[in-house]
Amino acid sequence: MWIYFLRRTVLAIAIVAIAVTLLRVMIHAVPGDPAVMMLGPRATPALIAEFREKMGLNEPFHVQMVTFFANLLKGDMGTDVFTGRSVTQIVMEQFPYTVELIFTSVGWAALVGIPLGCYSAIRRNTLFDKITGIASVGTISIPSFVMALYALLIFAVGLGWLPAVGAGEGTLGDRLHHLILPSLAVGIPWVGYTARIVRASMLEVLGENHVRMARAFGLPEMRIIFRYALPIAILPTITLLGVGVAYLLSAAVFAEVIFARPGIGSLIVNAVDERNYPIVMGCVLVTTVLIVVATMISDFVNALLDPRAREGL
Amino acid sequence: MPRRTVLKGIAGAGAMATTLPITRAIWAAEGKTLRARNYADIDKLDPGFYQNAYNVDVMNCIYSKLIHYKPGHEWAWELQAAESIEQVDDTHIRFRLRKGIMFTDGYGEMTAEDVKFSFERVIEFDSPVKGDWGPLDHVEVEDDHTGVIVLKSPFQPLWNITLPFGCGHIVSKKAVMEKTGDGGDFGMEPPCFSGPYVLAEWKPDQYVRLTRNPDYAGPDKPGFDEIRILPMDDEKTAEIAYEAGDIDFTQVSLASLGNYKQDMPDDTTIDEYPSLYYAWVGMNVDHPKLKDINVRKAIQWAINVPQIMDAAYFGEAKPATGLIAPGLIGHREKALVPPEGDLDTAREYLAKAGLDSLDVAIDVLNASQWKTMAEVIQAQLAQIGVNLDIRVQDSGSFWTMGMESEGERWKDLQLIINRFSMVPDPYYATEWFTCEQVGVWNWERFCNERFDTLHEEAVAVSDPEKRGAMYREMQDLMEDSGAYRFLTHEAAPMMYRTSLVKPALRPDGRPLYRFFETA
Repeated sequence: MWIYFLRRTVLAIAIVAIAVTLLRVMIHAVPGDPAVMMLGPRATPALIAEFREKMGLNEPFHVQMVTFFANLLKGDMGTDVFTGRSVTQIVMEQFPYTVELIFTSVGWAALVGIPLGCYSAIRRNTLFDKITGIASVGTISIPSFVMALYALLIFAVGLGWLPAVGAGEGTLGDRLHHLILPSLAVGIPWVGYTARIVRASMLEVLGENHVRMARAFGLPEMRIIFRYALPIAILPTITLLGVGVAYLLSAAVFAEVIFARPGIGSLIVNAVDERNYPIVMGCVLVTTVLIVVATMISDFVNALLDPRAREGL
Repeated sequence: MPRRTVLKGIAGAGAMATTLPITRAIWAAEGKTLRARNYADIDKLDPGFYQNAYNVDVMNCIYSKLIHYKPGHEWAWELQAAESIEQVDDTHIRFRLRKGIMFTDGYGEMTAEDVKFSFERVIEFDSPVKGDWGPLDHVEVEDDHTGVIVLKSPFQPLWNITLPFGCGHIVSKKAVMEKTGDGGDFGMEPPCFSGPYVLAEWKPDQYVRLTRNPDYAGPDKPGFDEIRILPMDDEKTAEIAYEAGDIDFTQVSLASLGNYKQDMPDDTTIDEYPSLYYAWVGMNVDHPKLKDINVRKAIQWAINVPQIMDAAYFGEAKPATGLIAPGLIGHREKALVPPEGDLDTAREYLAKAGLDSLDVAIDVLNASQWKTMAEVIQAQLAQIGVNLDIRVQDSGSFWTMGMESEGERWKDLQLIINRFSMVPDPYYATEWFTCEQVGVWNWERFCNERFDTLHEEAVAVSDPEKRGAMYREMQDLMEDSGAYRFLTHEAAPMMYRTSLVKPALRPDGRPLYRFFETA
């Protein structure tokens, strides 16, 4: 298990390094001088030159990369040349908002999707199963931003139950209040996905020999489901939710823009628009780490539940 | 799980669900709080190095300056920190500060030395906006409250841009020196304030919270206990937030304006202001396909501006006659080419160029409005046999495509739909179209000696009539070159809660929160 853990960690570090390097290559390839973009039309050539120097844009590519990684080891992701603030500080201020949005959305998917899928499998071909099936496909096919807009119009404008914009004033209750709509918009499609995956896995597992054996021994149905079927059926769902973090991150971009929430998504959109490369690099680094860690966690959980998975790497 | 635990959980969730709307109701009913939307988050609070108008909106509240824009529908200025200010001669402006304007945090009274420091540091530190100060030489301090701004040459924009806008704000010399060591850019950390509001809190990407300045003794009493400015890039989000009651003041998109006029939200007023922006179709006069003036004129005459206004601005914006918006010195009453153009004239010009068809490309920003405009122009030009290829660009790529410093892309630039922002002085509009700006911001590569001479001379002319005539001639020269088809100055409709706020806006609709009052 420890060797598995070590190998996965080394691979994760390599993925992060490759992603960041690729991004830097793309930044160099994209037309548009960040110094000109940031300083505006009235900047003098001397100021632009000084600015480029400050951003390290005059250095050869490999020097920029070595400097970036060396600083990263010290926890320094650079300085936002607009505000003069530390990129680490800026990104870390926004990161919790995105994490809470993503994990609340995953929470919706897990808390609603797993029981729905499970119950649909148990009550296969009943009216409930059919309704769940239609609803699941319906939620999967609605894009997050459409969901977000309608959720806003219904619950914020129409009913006035929930706030339309922002992330709350700092108290837990207010933050949760502001989180309901965005997380619902981002998470609802995943409720459908999760329900479908759990249902399919459950149906497969419920037909396996050990379950039939358990039934033959006369074990209670609930025990068979929760003790012998669900732990196996849940494995693909865990992998799905791990991979889903990457998808949810992109959905979070829409949600953060539509709900005017702070977060990595809105930060990165603005930063790309302004060619604010230190912020872009910081955001991509953090989101890559988030995706890699989420995938790793889902792999570890899989490995814990299923020893065969440990031999996969 | 024991039944009791389940019941406890349900009860807890129920209690939370019932308290949430109450929390919100309490929050919304708090004292005199204004919640306004801005299209971007602040990123610079040092007025000497300001970058964008949204930063100046906040600076207006937390600092003071000698004069400010007078709220209303006509451009004018009023005294603010200055008790008096006069143009002694072409290059000398004497000011006298009001007594008793205090900086917060114990930095004492505002003096002429602070004014000198604030203005001269813009030049000394080679600020990106030092152009606002034009030919500033120095500021002479006569006594604690009196000083003289000395210019190297006459500079009329000083009264329209410099003093009443960003660079005109006065900071405390002592506080800035303590903060920065050398008097340079203090970025987002103002060491003290002198306006009716102070910056109480800035939560990046969430809000800027301004509260009353307890030390403020100036004439403009703050209308609100608190002003909360929320950054929202998306206009539609802002409109939904307004309808949901989360904000009280916002700009309305032109796409929604018609609907709002028909079905106005409760307790709402919409005020419409013309904007200062100017949008135009530019043509690269150095491109082989557009080198012949007859080709450019054919395109000019084929473009029907009102049709574009209907399609891209939902009929809510008016055609422009030039760069300079109505109400400003140098505005032209009429363009040389009528807004509707004329297809027959366009065909005649094309025939003069010896062409019966032509393939050209137009570059536009990747927003639906610009794409719509390009599509309308594509259809219009097709009527005279000009096939237009639309090339959509992301903003980073778009805003550098005509720059020679950015490679060779300028050589391939043919037509472009462009839009520049503007402050209320014509100098700011024409400065981008001089020969010196070719390959920098002048992407049409229009170069006219007479234009440059007029541009140089007009900044020094104090007679508004004479100055206006010079700028009108400059726009005639631009249009006559065939390189420009002026489209619109757009519009800036503002929506606000009638029972809560009495807004104070510049003639272009820009909010002056400092003067907002409760209704």
